[in-house]
Amino acid sequence: MTTLWDTTGTAVVKALAAERRSGGAVMSGLALTLVVVVDERDVQEAEAAATTAASRHPCRLLIVIRRQVEAPIPRLDAEVLVGGRLGPGEAVVMRMYGRLSLHAESVVLPLLAPDAPVVTWWYGSPPDRIAHDPLGVSADRRVTDVRRAEDPGAALRHRADDYLPGDTDLAWTRTTPWRAELASAFDTVRAAAKTATVVGRRDDPAALLLAGWLSARLGCEVPVEHAGGRAPGAGGIHVSSVRVELVDGGVVELTRKDASSVVLSRTGQPDSDVALPERELGDLLAEELRRLDADQPYAEALGVATGVSGLADRPDEPRTLIWVDPMQFDGRPVAAESSAASPAAVASSAAETDGSPRSAASTTEAAATRPAPAAERDATPGPTPEGAPGPPADGRDS
Amino acid sequence: MTDPILGEERRPNPLRDPRDRRLPRVPKPCALVVFGITGDLARKKLLPAVYDLHSRGLLPTDFVLVGFARRDWDDGDFEDMARDAARKGARTPWREEVWSRLAGNIRFVPGSFDDDNAFDTLAETLDEMRDSHGIKGNAAFYLSIPPTAFPVVLKQLQRTGMADNGKSGGWRRVVVEKPFGSDLESSRELNDLVDDVFTPQDVFRIDHYLGKETVQNILALRFANQLFEPVWNANYVDSVQITMAEDVGIGTRAGFYDQTGAARDVLQNHVLQLLALVGMEEPVEFTADAIRTEKLKVLRAITLPEPLGEYAIRGQYTQGWMAGERVAGYRQEKDVPPESDTETYATVRLGVETRRWAGVPFYLRAGKRLPRRVTEISIIFKKAPHLPFSKTDTEELGSNQLVIRVQPDEGVTLKFGSKVPGSQMEVRDVAMDFLYGQAFTESSPEAYERLILDVLLGDGTLFPQAAEVEASWRVIDPLEDFWTGTQPAFYRAGEWGPKEADEMLARDGRTWRRP
Repeated sequence: MTTLWDTTGTAVVKALAAERRSGGAVMSGLALTLVVVVDERDVQEAEAAATTAASRHPCRLLIVIRRQVEAPIPRLDAEVLVGGRLGPGEAVVMRMYGRLSLHAESVVLPLLAPDAPVVTWWYGSPPDRIAHDPLGVSADRRVTDVRRAEDPGAALRHRADDYLPGDTDLAWTRTTPWRAELASAFDTVRAAAKTATVVGRRDDPAALLLAGWLSARLGCEVPVEHAGGRAPGAGGIHVSSVRVELVDGGVVELTRKDASSVVLSRTGQPDSDVALPERELGDLLAEELRRLDADQPYAEALGVATGVSGLADRPDEPRTLIWVDPMQFDGRPVAAESSAASPAAVASSAAETDGSPRSAASTTEAAATRPAPAAERDATPGPTPEGAPGPPADGRDS
Repeated sequence: MTDPILGEERRPNPLRDPRDRRLPRVPKPCALVVFGITGDLARKKLLPAVYDLHSRGLLPTDFVLVGFARRDWDDGDFEDMARDAARKGARTPWREEVWSRLAGNIRFVPGSFDDDNAFDTLAETLDEMRDSHGIKGNAAFYLSIPPTAFPVVLKQLQRTGMADNGKSGGWRRVVVEKPFGSDLESSRELNDLVDDVFTPQDVFRIDHYLGKETVQNILALRFANQLFEPVWNANYVDSVQITMAEDVGIGTRAGFYDQTGAARDVLQNHVLQLLALVGMEEPVEFTADAIRTEKLKVLRAITLPEPLGEYAIRGQYTQGWMAGERVAGYRQEKDVPPESDTETYATVRLGVETRRWAGVPFYLRAGKRLPRRVTEISIIFKKAPHLPFSKTDTEELGSNQLVIRVQPDEGVTLKFGSKVPGSQMEVRDVAMDFLYGQAFTESSPEAYERLILDVLLGDGTLFPQAAEVEASWRVIDPLEDFWTGTQPAFYRAGEWGPKEADEMLARDGRTWRRP
């Protein structure tokens, strides 16, 4: 393990290469890079989950902790581990302070495993617009968790507005055991479905997605009837029952029994208990890493759940970074942007452009979705698609 | 869509979406009936595999496990035994609530194989559960019993009509463990009997090697990549070595092993199946039938070497040292006749007479009490036709090799020449390693888990067909005939086989790869 205080991205890349060498041929078959974006208070949970996931899908794990954006001097602390507490693979834990935390990609891009898929996971409230997140655009698969947003319902709608193939949400992952059970129960059903109802908390995105999926697959409206109570239902989602009535009068129903099981009742067959324990965060994340292609059933369920149409038809094209300075539209002053000459500054932070609002010369249709007029476009220096402006020139600090 | 079994109009399940890769492949409601449930295989492999499948949510909601054995047990006794066995062997974490749900659907039917009443009871039990447990008449019968008991059990299944798809109103399948006979003739008899009682596509012959991820990966490696197929032929390949080495002795299987020997025990099935997968042409599609067709073509194209005496060697281990401990020789093992000439090691050079492989020798070897447990396939390429370096530069350069490691450390190794760092030009072999478990440790399912699941799903891709088994015996029978009455060559336990095996390769100007 190597710990680097007040360091630079280049030093981290070197430290990782050195750890790899001294660790022997530990990692020869790297299948993906997992980038975890997390706040300091949630680091332990996120690390535990990422470790579980990494033990099943060995990957290069990059944990980005953004701290004290207001701090006057940007600073990077890093910890490099190979085969240590974060699972069998390689891991880099990076704490970024000051305005560096708004440009995390400058440290992360050189650390991505060459030509292997990248999965970015936001543990914490997800970004409103993934295109506004520099770590989102370089990822092939983007995993959010709307349940951790202040208003999960609104966050889910944001996900639908912002959806592009490759996006997925852990609220959807949580529905898998329920969906598997329902699909299995339907294997023996001969009749078509007439009506279906999900009873659960209407503010639980998983309940909404489950209803959305049923509706998309069965071709009927599936309302979510509100049931109070704070305790999650079986499988960790706030659903107390799913009931499907068939055209022949039969009923298929899954009802929550306790926190880890449900009862399956079908007309003409004895009830049976089904174990549906809540899965740990690491298991959910591991499910996300299993397949890295776009998840069309999620797109359909999300579309129905939020009333946004055409999600599944959105083009599968790379995202382009639209840079937004969160501190600008918060109305707070930008602290010491021009003092980036501090010895602690990361090489790339010399290229800061965000201090001086320039006139948005290259306005595109994407600019219309910007949340604040002070928002400013910037280009990612990474593998951006055609049409993106080149990397910002040096020395444009005000 | 018309249901092939029930014949009635049937809608596809609206909740199943081929693009929905998160939902597991779950079989239709069914029962798994295990004969010989108290045996070693059932306790160590089958019961844990059933628990693991259930724990991963891969078994249908309506699933019943029925045990059949000659024990004076009731359902409760059986459940206790099954619980202990599953708990001991399970690979997924033990969760009491998962087991308790499975435990509610466990039945035991006591009886011996020649007891008509017991089989009538079994048939009634299955009929009852059709409605009470919603299994719809679907059942798979797992024959985890000695081969001598196969005919009796099969005839009982036939007599009671339990093997009849039409009568049961669902599917009825049978799972048979190796050995599939002891020569061509006996395997034909067995195949005729099984295929007569069940329909041929409902017979699943388990070769647990084919359930291993790496073996399935051979097909992905060959047919999903552009890189390897162009050189996968006699123009570039010098020879192929397939090794299946075990470090253990015969353990408590003396009775069985002394009758069987290494060639019948593993060469006939595991090793020849590996050869078929390496040697086959590309299947037209990835379906059970298409893959079997291609495998069968290779197995039928196998030729034996001339003269057999020089290219078919068998050996037997004598006393020696293994991993720091003294171990007994084969003839000193418990219950082995002191004059036994059964082989514990067998090697043979085979040819495959196809356009792709003509002239490429396939060296197969399998043995017990070899230095370590390893199964691998090594494709050895020809040397470069011209080396622009001076002879001394490339003295240590061997042949390029592609090694598929089946077990342990499942993965692929590519060996090629590389310059030794320094001021002189010196080329030496280096190995590039891909460790399967490293890029994807997503707990590869145990072979039995995968195979039981495939049986319940009715997917026969990983199961050899009667014709393949017969084609394999056609290769092994002449060897056995040739070896009858001869003495095996001896090797010390802990050596890589008898020296005759090394001489066999030396005669061709080759050496064995040390695995």
